[in-house]
Amino acid sequence: MRHIVQGTAIGLAAGFIGGLFGVGGGVVMVPGLVLLLGMDQHRAHATSVTAIVAASSAAVIPFAVDGEVAWDTAGLILIGSIVGAYFGARLIGRIPAVWLARAFLTITVIAAVRMAVSA
Amino acid sequence: MTVLGLIVVGLIAGSLAASLGIGGGIIYVPALVALFSFAQHEAQGTSLAVIVPTTVVAAVVHARAGRVEWGTALLLGIGGIVGGLIGAEAALALDAPVLKRLFAVFLVLTAVRMLSRTRRASHPEPLDPV
Repeated sequence: MRHIVQGTAIGLAAGFIGGLFGVGGGVVMVPGLVLLLGMDQHRAHATSVTAIVAASSAAVIPFAVDGEVAWDTAGLILIGSIVGAYFGARLIGRIPAVWLARAFLTITVIAAVRMAVSA
Repeated sequence: MTVLGLIVVGLIAGSLAASLGIGGGIIYVPALVALFSFAQHEAQGTSLAVIVPTTVVAAVVHARAGRVEWGTALLLGIGGIVGGLIGAEAALALDAPVLKRLFAVFLVLTAVRMLSRTRRASHPEPLDPV
């Protein structure tokens, strides 16, 4: 019973963040599963990705109805991301994860500042 | 040029997602806004449209490997559908400048969390006393 309530609550919170910010929601779901349900990292990631199929399918509907989806752009990014997931991961795997994370953090902070200033 | 740029954004996001375990949305949205002058709402809607097929592929791979806990995934999915609809409606109800600033805060928090997690993973001993 507790498991049912916790699982649904994690899904609700992750879905909300995912819908609000147009991201998957894994950033909430994975730690939720690890910390609250004691799942290991790999299972949490796999289970989260599966649930996000449903959450993101629901979240995209209101955006599509309001005409806020650029389908041609989505198609192009999708092509790149599938190729990237297959081949890019092998190349990028040679760079230590902590350096990738640092580079990502730097770019992210610059993007965030630009977004906040231009808002 | 734009076509090539968008494919490159996908390439980078796909590579990072596979190696760092971060979702694509955290890259698509700021990239579309900062590099391709998308409005905040359209960037988020477009990001979600990419996430759906991407997660379908990832879910199939994980399911075949037997890593998905289906009972929990069902609960998460039910909560996720309700939460996703509410979140999307909330985003559409917000003005673009407000949503953009909220997203910027979310972006920094996510990046900091990811950096601390990666650092922990690359050090056998914990850095902080637990």
